[in-house]
Formats: sequence, C-alpha cells, structure tokens
Amino acid sequence: MTAVEQKFMGRGSLTEGFGLSTEPLPLEPYYSREFFELEQKMIFRRAWLYVCRAEELPEPGNFVVKSIHGTGVEALITHTKAGRIQAFYNSCPHRGSIVVKESAGKASRFSCPYHRWTFENTGDLVGVPDEENFFPSMDKKNCGLAKIATDVWEGWVFINLAAEPEVGLEEYLGPAKGYLGGILYRGAHNPVVYTAVLDANWKTASDAFIESYHIPHIHKKTIGTTFASRLNPYSRLIGARPLGTHRTISLFGNPEYTIDPRNRVEALGSMGQEGKSVIAADVSEEATRFRAHPAINPDRSEHWSMDINQIFPHLHIDTGPGSFWTHQFWPIDEKTCFYEVRFYIDEATSIQDRFLQELFICRVGEVVLEDLANLRFTQRGIENSGKGVMHLQDSEVAIRHALTQVIKWTRAQTVKEALA
Amino acid sequence: MSVAGQMERNLPPGFEDLEPFVARWAGETTAERMVTRCEADMEDIQVFYDAMLSRGEDAMNLISQHPLTDLPPDVANLAKLLLALAQASIAVELHGQPRAPEAPYPNSIRLTRGPHPYG
Repeated sequence: MTAVEQKFMGRGSLTEGFGLSTEPLPLEPYYSREFFELEQKMIFRRAWLYVCRAEELPEPGNFVVKSIHGTGVEALITHTKAGRIQAFYNSCPHRGSIVVKESAGKASRFSCPYHRWTFENTGDLVGVPDEENFFPSMDKKNCGLAKIATDVWEGWVFINLAAEPEVGLEEYLGPAKGYLGGILYRGAHNPVVYTAVLDANWKTASDAFIESYHIPHIHKKTIGTTFASRLNPYSRLIGARPLGTHRTISLFGNPEYTIDPRNRVEALGSMGQEGKSVIAADVSEEATRFRAHPAINPDRSEHWSMDINQIFPHLHIDTGPGSFWTHQFWPIDEKTCFYEVRFYIDEATSIQDRFLQELFICRVGEVVLEDLANLRFTQRGIENSGKGVMHLQDSEVAIRHALTQVIKWTRAQTVKEALA
Repeated sequence: MSVAGQMERNLPPGFEDLEPFVARWAGETTAERMVTRCEADMEDIQVFYDAMLSRGEDAMNLISQHPLTDLPPDVANLAKLLLALAQASIAVELHGQPRAPEAPYPNSIRLTRGPHPYG
C-alpha cells in the first residue's frame, strides 16, 4: 500500500491538526432567527466583507452597486479620479432616496432622481437645486454621500459596515494574507457569472461547497468521476489548514479521468487537441506560473484537483489547475441566501476554446442546479431534526472550523477577540 | 420564408441542412440557448443534437477560418448553433430528458454574464 492509499483509509487527522473538538455541533445557527440577527450584528456589521474584484472598476469613473443583502445596505462603489476605490451608502443625504439605480456604469457625477441633488464620485455634494431656500443647518460640506469603510487587497475589494472598523483589512486577513499573497489572478477581468436565490441558510449553502464527501452522490453524473476514484471512493480531502479565522482545503482529483465516450460533444470540443477536455489543465506559461504559487496545490499532490480558500465570513476563492473562481453566500434571512459564483476565464480566441467554455458553463449550470435542489432538502431537515446536532467526519473539517468561527464571532466582545 | 417559397439563407453555403434549426436554436446568449433546451421536447432536442453533431467538425473548421469576435452574420449563426450543441448534450448525454430530474423549473438560477462572444 502506498502512502497516498494509506491516507484514504482509517480515520484522518485533519480535525486534530486544526486543534478542534470532535464532538457533534449544534444545528441551531442554521435556522434560528435569533442567531441570524446576532450574526448580522456581530459578524456582518463588524467583519470586512468582500464585495467585488477591482477589475469590475477598471478606470476612474467606473461604478458598481452591490447589495449587502441581509443588512439592507446598498453599496455604491466608485473609482475616483484620484484612483481610489470607495464605497458609499447609496442613499441621498437630502431625504434618503436611492441615488443610483443602475447596477454598474461610468459617471463622474451622480444626480439623485428625486430632487436632483448632485454628487461627485468622491461623494462630495456639488449641486442643490434652489439651495437658497434651505436653512443654515444644511451645510453642503457635511451633506455628501455617507462613506462606507473600503480597502483593497491584491484586487479584492472589501467594505466594513462599522462606523469605525476595529481592525484594518490586513490585520483582518491575518495569515491568509501571507498565504495567498502574490497569486496571479488570471482572467480576473473576464468573469462568467451565475446567481441564484437559495432556499437555505447562507452557512448551509456555504458548507455544501467546502466538503467533497457529497460529490460522488449528489453530482454523480456531472462531476462525480472528477473528484473520486477507486483509490479515494469517498472523495476525502488531501489537505486542510486553518488561516486564523479563515481556512483552506485541497480536494482530491481523479488522475484517471478521461472523456467518457458517450460524451460525444466533449469529444468534438477536444477534436485534434491532445489532452483538451472540459477539465484538462491549461499548459500555457501563464497557467504554469499560476500553478507555481505555493498556495495552489500546497501539498504538491499528484492527486490534486482544486483548493478552496474560505475568507470569513462568506467568500470562497477556489483555485484549480489553470484558473480561479469565487463563491459568495450573502444571508437574506435565516433560511434564504443569495448565491453568486464567478468563473474567471481567458477570452476565447478560437471556436474550439469557446465551445469547450460553453460546455463547461452548461455543466456548471447543472451542478449549481443540483446543489439548489439538494439544499432545499438539507435546510428543511435541519429545521426539524429532532436531534439538534450534526456529526461531522474528518474530511468535513472546514465546516467544523467555519461554524466554530461563526459562533466565536457572535460571542466576542471585540473584533480583536474574535480574531485571537 | 422569402419569395417563391425559397428558404431564407441564414447559414454559410454547405450548411443548408441545418437551416431549419436556426430560428429556434441559434439564440444570442448562453442563457437564451439554455431556456430553449429546458423548454424543448426531448424528440426535438435529439433531432437537433444528431443533425448538429454530424456537422460539428465541418462547422468548427469553417468557423476557424474567421476571427472569432468578428464573424460574418451567416458564420455567426453557425457558431451559435454549434454552441447550442453544448446545451443539447446536457439533455441527451447527461439527463436523458430535457432537464435535470428532481430540480425545479423555472428556478432562480440566472447566468447574468456569459463567455464572450455569444455568451
């Protein structure tokens, strides 16, 4: 028996490596209204929240509006002439109306549709119709758009809804910063985006994307053979490590994967191109540089398929053999969340590559659908379990660590304490 | 149909056999083509799948002769038909029916930005 085969037998030691208890964990955080409200206050109004990649705002004048679902906040994020990316409450300081109705665009100024108060994209108020009829208490200098704390790290734009964030973004990222620092984010300007409203708590949904134990059953037809094989039939993890309040795991890949002869359309896409398939590794120089980063396949395993880097609370940055993609799970209420997945890809230059992309995007759509369908049942069961706890195995260590961190944040008096 | 009952030509010469599929299957975006597949009968999907797959290599070769982001209109239609084959394969090769069994339809999943071009 080889060392690799050994790894997929008996009980693993990942949970022990995280220093976590092995006891069952409570289900209450997945359905309780009270816990949801606590999360909103103690996590979503104190933690740094990832909102978008800087490539969404490539030039001064670009803006996007992002909904911070559970909080009700709409963040207007602008790229100013001075080159700064800054978020604001999308609300007019006059009588509160939404200022920008578009979800993205280019403008150096915004005019509130209600009474035409006009703002620079730095938030400064520059125009008030019939200004002389206002009272001295309306000082234009204090009536700009309300700022939301914003910081950018390696192209990842984060906001913080605290009036004064207790820690800066770098301190918040902690060990994740050094671990992920320097990754070459290929195709970052060119995402393919799926969104869905899922009938599941945001953690129920997020948990489904940080374990591969379910893949051989739920995704048997779509991706089952990619993540499991005779060597590792239950798709156990090949590695996992905590990164402060964040974490990373690496998934098994089936090195024996070949195109199923029944998949004639995929065979057509790889026509005449040795080694091309929907999941085949990109052999370009850029892809090779991307893969060389120590956080990508950190164990340098020949049985590796992808890594999942979970940035607290609701972002996953996934890295595969040639590209990265992200998942975000925004809580809407205790049993519903807004899900967004973005696959960052190179722009196709040949019809063959474009065709393989199309096949990939179609299959991914089916995988999302399988999760959407399955999560409804998970959530319904969680809400009425009769037992109130869940039992996690060693390869579900990321779920255990994630929930432990969520609970810790809801109890911590300060952010420093939550991060300690 | 144009005058004298002649079929209007939407595809490059040599692909006349695929003309009947253009109106339905050559949707402008991936999301449109997905709706077409989800709402079609299995028999129709199978007929399109068989016809398009048998011309897949020819189509790929012809489209390759043009820059992908600047295809002449008839070649662009052929490219969109070819891309629709990816959707058809989901029904034929994966599910054996138009949509995933047990999954709700319509549902809340939206492809809000597809790959370029025709995505």
